[in-house]
This record gives sequence, C-alpha cells and structure tokens, in this order.
Amino acid sequence: MTDLLSAVYEIFSSESTYLNGALFAAFLAFAATGEWVAERSGTLNISVEGMLLGGAFAAAMGCHLTGSVAVGLLTAILGGVLIAGVQAEMSHRLAADQFVVGLTLNILVLGLTGFLENEIAPETTLAGRWEIPVLSDIPLLGQALFGQRWPFYILYLLLPLSWWLVYRTRWGLELRSVGENPQSADVSGIDVNKRRRQSIYYAGLTCGLGGAFLIFGHIGRFEDTIVGGRGFIAIAAVIFGGWTLRGTLAGCVIFAGALSFRLSIQGLGYDINSELLQALPFVVTIAGMAIFAHRVRAPAALARPFIRGLR
Amino acid sequence: MKMLIGLLLPDAGTISIDGRTESIHDPLTATALGIGMVHQHFSLVDALTVWENATLGDTGRLDPSATRDRIGEIAEQYGLVIDPDKRVGDLTAGLRQRVEIIKCLRRDPSIVIFDEPTSVLTPEESEQLFESLRHVVAAENRAVVLVSHKLDEVLHATDDITIMRQGRVVDQRYSTDADAPTLARAMVGREVSLRSERAALGIHSPDDTDLGGTVPAKTDAVLPATAQPVLRIDRAIAHDADGVVALDEFSLEMYPGEIVGVAGVEGNGQRALGDVLSSLLTLSSGTVAVDGTEVPTGRSGAMAEAGIGVIPEDRHDSGLVLDMTVAENLVLVDQSRAATRGLIDQRRLNAFAEEMIEQFNIACGGPNAPMWSVSGGNQQRVVLARELSQEPKILVAAQPTRGLDVGAIEYMSHRLETAAASEVAVLLISSELEEILELSHRIIVMHSGRIVGEMSRAEANFETLGLLMGGTAA
Repeated sequence: MTDLLSAVYEIFSSESTYLNGALFAAFLAFAATGEWVAERSGTLNISVEGMLLGGAFAAAMGCHLTGSVAVGLLTAILGGVLIAGVQAEMSHRLAADQFVVGLTLNILVLGLTGFLENEIAPETTLAGRWEIPVLSDIPLLGQALFGQRWPFYILYLLLPLSWWLVYRTRWGLELRSVGENPQSADVSGIDVNKRRRQSIYYAGLTCGLGGAFLIFGHIGRFEDTIVGGRGFIAIAAVIFGGWTLRGTLAGCVIFAGALSFRLSIQGLGYDINSELLQALPFVVTIAGMAIFAHRVRAPAALARPFIRGLR
Repeated sequence: MKMLIGLLLPDAGTISIDGRTESIHDPLTATALGIGMVHQHFSLVDALTVWENATLGDTGRLDPSATRDRIGEIAEQYGLVIDPDKRVGDLTAGLRQRVEIIKCLRRDPSIVIFDEPTSVLTPEESEQLFESLRHVVAAENRAVVLVSHKLDEVLHATDDITIMRQGRVVDQRYSTDADAPTLARAMVGREVSLRSERAALGIHSPDDTDLGGTVPAKTDAVLPATAQPVLRIDRAIAHDADGVVALDEFSLEMYPGEIVGVAGVEGNGQRALGDVLSSLLTLSSGTVAVDGTEVPTGRSGAMAEAGIGVIPEDRHDSGLVLDMTVAENLVLVDQSRAATRGLIDQRRLNAFAEEMIEQFNIACGGPNAPMWSVSGGNQQRVVLARELSQEPKILVAAQPTRGLDVGAIEYMSHRLETAAASEVAVLLISSELEEILELSHRIIVMHSGRIVGEMSRAEANFETLGLLMGGTAA
C-alpha cells in the first residue's frame, strides 16, 4: 500500500504525467469545444467520434500527398466539415433522426478510414516543437502547456474565439436562443435549422482541427483506433461542464487526467490489471456525470428537432 | 393571427396592407411590412436576459449598450419600466409581457397585434397596458388589434369590434353600439347546423330556439341532500408549464350520480383541472380527496387507483396508443383483467376485448385491429369502454364529443347519462355550451382558473353563461 502511495506521489511529481495529460486534454478540448457549440444550438451531436476520426485521416492524407503539415491541417478541417455536412443536412434539413444519423456516421467513418488506411498507408510527419521562452521553464507545467508541437497552440486561439462567438455576437445569441426555445426564435424571425446546421459545421471544424492535432501534435501516424471512443468522452465533458465552456474545459482536464494517470502507472511497472486500468477513464467519466450532471441545466431544446408549427 | 405574422400561409384569399396585396411567408417579411405581434404564449427565451430577448430577430452587429438605451427610451415613453439585465425566466408573467411588448415596439411597427394580452396580468397592470395602448394609437398613428375574450376589455379599450367564431366573422360593430349582452350572444352563438341536424333526424327533441331563453330544467336531477361528496377539491392552486396560474383557489364538491358541467372559454383552467384529475399535474397547494381520502396529486396512476376515470381532451395525445391493438388499448389502465403475475394471457385478453366491443358497439376489425385503423368515434368508444370498465366513482369527460359525428355524439351523451344514473359522478368539461346545458345537472363557469359562477341547470341560460365566461358579472 505504501508502495502504491509512493508511486502515486511519483506520478504527480513527474513532468511526463502533465505532458501526457495536456496532450489528452487538448485533444478532448478541440472536440468538446465544437460539441459545446452544437449542443448550445440544440443538437446532441454524437457524430463527434466520426468527425475526429475523419479529420485525423484527412490530415494524414493531406500530409501524405503534399508533405506539408499546414496543408494537412486544412484537409483535416475539410474532412471534419464534410462529415458535419452529412450530419447537419440529414438531421436539420431532411429531418432525419439526429442520433440515427450520428451513430451511422460513426460506424461508417470507422470502416471507411480503416479500409483506406490499409489501401493507402499514408505517411505523415510530426509537426515541429515550439518552446515558448520563459513560460516553458515553469516547473512541472511549463513543458505541458508551452513546450508542445505547434498545432497544440491553435487551441489557445480556438477557445477564446468560440467563447466570443457564442456569448458576444448576434450569431451566438441566435444560436443560444435556438437551443433554448426554437419556437420563440422562429417567431422572432430566426432560421432555426440554419443556425443548427451552422453550429454542427463549427463542430466539424473544431473536430477536424482535433484530428489534425492528434496526427501532427501527438501520435505521428494514422490508425483507425487512435480516437478510440474519446469523442464520446468529449460529449460527456460538455454535459459534465453544465454546457458552459469553462466547465467543459474542466471536464476535459479531469478526464484527461484519468487517461494520463493510467499511462503513467503502467509506465512505472505496476502490475495492475491492464483491462481494469483501461476502464479507469470511463469510470471517472461516469462517476463525474453521476455527481454533477443533475445539478446543471441543459439547453431546453437539446436533442429536440424543430418542425415549424409543432409546439 | 398566425397568418399575419407569417407563421401560417393562407390556403386562399389575400392580405392587403396600405392597399397593396402582400404575401407574408415568414416572420421577417411581416416585420418588414410593419406588423408586430405581442404573443399570448410569449415568444421569449427564458435563459436569456431582457435586452438579449429584445434584440432577438434583429440584424447587424450585436450592440448591448444601444439595445439597453433603446429599452430605456421605450420604458420611459410608455411607462413600461424594466431592468434590461434581468434573466427573463426570473420575471413575473406581467413583466415578461412587458418585455414582449418592448420587443415588439422597438421595431416601430405600424400595426400591433395583441393576443389575449391581459390573461396573465393583474387588473391594475391591464389598466396600465390599455392606457399605453391608447397612447400608441392616438399619438403615434399606429393601428392596434386586440384579440380578447374578455368583454369588458373589448368594450372599454377598442373603437370597433369584430366577433369571430370558429374561424368566421359573425358580427362587426362599433364599440359605442355594443354592450356586453349582445357581444356575449354573438360570441356564444349556437351550433345551428349540428344540433338542428340532430333534431331533424329525430334523435333528440330540440331545445327552445330562443338564444337568451331558459332551457327547461331536467326533472331527473334530484340529489339526495344527505349524500357525502365523492370528490372534493379544496382550494387547489396549480401552474401550467409557463408558470402562469392555471387553477386559482379552485374548490369543487361532487356527489354520486350528478353530472357537473364545466363551462368557460378555453384556456381558463379547464385543461389544468382535467390534468390534475389525470395525475398529470401536481398542485402547488390545495388537496384532492376521493370519498374523503386524500389522493396525492401528480403521481402517475394515483387518481386512477382512487377511482377517477378520464376521457382525455385529446384522445390521440393522451387517450390511446395508436400503434397498439384495440384489445391492448382496452387494458392499458389495468392489465389485471388479462394478465396473471405480469404475463398477458392472450385468450383472456381477447375475451375481454370482445366483450367490450360488443357492449360498447365498437366498430373495428376485431380485438387485434390496430387502433389507428379505427374511426374517431370508435376510438372514443374504446376510451370510454376502458374507463367505464374500471367502474370508476368519478368520470372526467374532457371535450368528449370533439371531432365526432352526430351519431357518435348522441352515443357519448347517452353513455354519460347512463353512467350518472348508475351513481357515477360525471365531470363534463366542454367548450360547447349546448352540450353542457343538455347534459348537466349543475353548471360551474370557469374564468382565469377560478369558479366565477355556479348554478343549477334550471337557472342557466346562454346569456348568463356567456357573460360569466366573458368575465363580466351577470
């Protein structure tokens, strides 16, 4: 028992724990930010997983074809937005059930990227590491937050931008009203389903970036298992965070901490059943949801399709 | 109303504004044409603040301080003071309506439509509202349309009056030429076609044809004076989903074997009353007791268990499961007739269903016909059969004949009378006065969630009922 305690201490005092944690948290945050925007507009967008995987694959392909990470970033956005397009047009123009569309998309993208990966085997490179002067020398957290490969830093722009869009622009105001009371928004002259489609496209964009970050900023090559269910953890982070951006980020950090802890304790050679450890982040997610999810208020029209005239 | 603001498209006919024919296909066009509406069910988003709501639907950059200033200006101009940074969800109904009005006025409409604006206001608030309306019309040359069922209000606040019934204009006159009784008569009217058709078919002797006349008293409405009330609702207060008071200190006692008719313009608490007795709505305060035992409100099945059967207002919404079979629908409330220890015995189910089908003359393709394949009148019979087979002490019939044909109406009326004759207390909630006058032994009139009048069948006539329904003391 003292063994385990000292191991835990070792984990918490090791820089690599924080480095890994930041990588996991950043990946979740890319996805969760877009998911947060989509949910504020009233769509419980479960195709995040597919958007992330599609974005990652498109990033790998872009890099494979041109050798450039920047091009890979752009193709990743295209990939994410393409999948978002299917989700948005199907569920908010053709009035198909958003969950059925999302589920199908996730499975479709998984199969498709797996197949294409086998056929093409895209070659990718990691992006360059940027050490931010002074800040990266902070003990423990410096490397984790300011010593990452450059796609990581996109997040530092994306988060304030998303917040500003949702809380400080007319677009954001309309988006929130659509997620709360689509009938009222409609009466006020707002195109409800258009706003909802746009917010799904935004989720596609951030998930595309998330996929690119995974390829260029973390793993370095594409496999069809690299997302591995973390899209759903991103959805959980939004709910955990009570549909605020701050809370969503807190959720990402906590869930990423669990992922990182699992990795570190295995690295130290502790013989804990690995399947059990694998389940740890998900257990933390469920526990977090059980404790916090009922204390927060969801957008009132979350996951409810809008059809004019029905009240 | 919905047509004018672009939520509904006319099938035929035209709308002209300033002499030009316009087609209003969405709310934005309506705003551009200068039509603004203050909705009865607010078009506000609770989670947003006052100023955010006010600016919703505008275009261009979001400018919080300019919006706040504009709200301040309007507040001063019309006496509608409000804090622009409050969350709308935290405001009272009266204040919320103020936001709604501000939202409408800040776009400077030339035509303003008010849809039942005072239904959520206190009398003083209403008074104030009409003062500002007068001001809007006189000083700023706008046209105001006031949609209301309150006769007082219409008489005092308007210049001319149009009376509508079932989508038709039935009368138009200047306010100075009108008084409450004439309006009440025109408003209530008579379902001439339907009832006279029945008379022509010889199904039922027609009531007297004089609108204001007294309907002859029923002779069989003799109540034992010593009887204990089977249902007692005591000072019930309930709120609807918007937080508006739907039942306001509502008290009612019912005795076995009587039919109590609930009259009133729709939206005055009748629905809440039905919902409370179907365990759909929880009371904020007050009690419901059956046979002297209090029944918890809002707990699924508690009312049914206590012996209250309900024929709900909308049979598709809450009376039947259309995709299940006739037999399954017949045992929805109580499966014990067809099931042992949770397992449904198909043979017993069919036997019970066939018995019901025969007893209630349900025309359908047998017990296993899907519910949707059955006509409306027969669907209603299934509901009726199910509820009566529970042998309820109290039967709530909410708009029981809505959308039914003449024969089905006759059958339903007959069944309700039979039920009463077998000592069931029947609460008949209906928006059709004819029906209430024909069936009830005792009539109560609801207005704004309260009972504003109670009378025996003998005392009731169209005019007194109409005046009470309009909120004017008879």
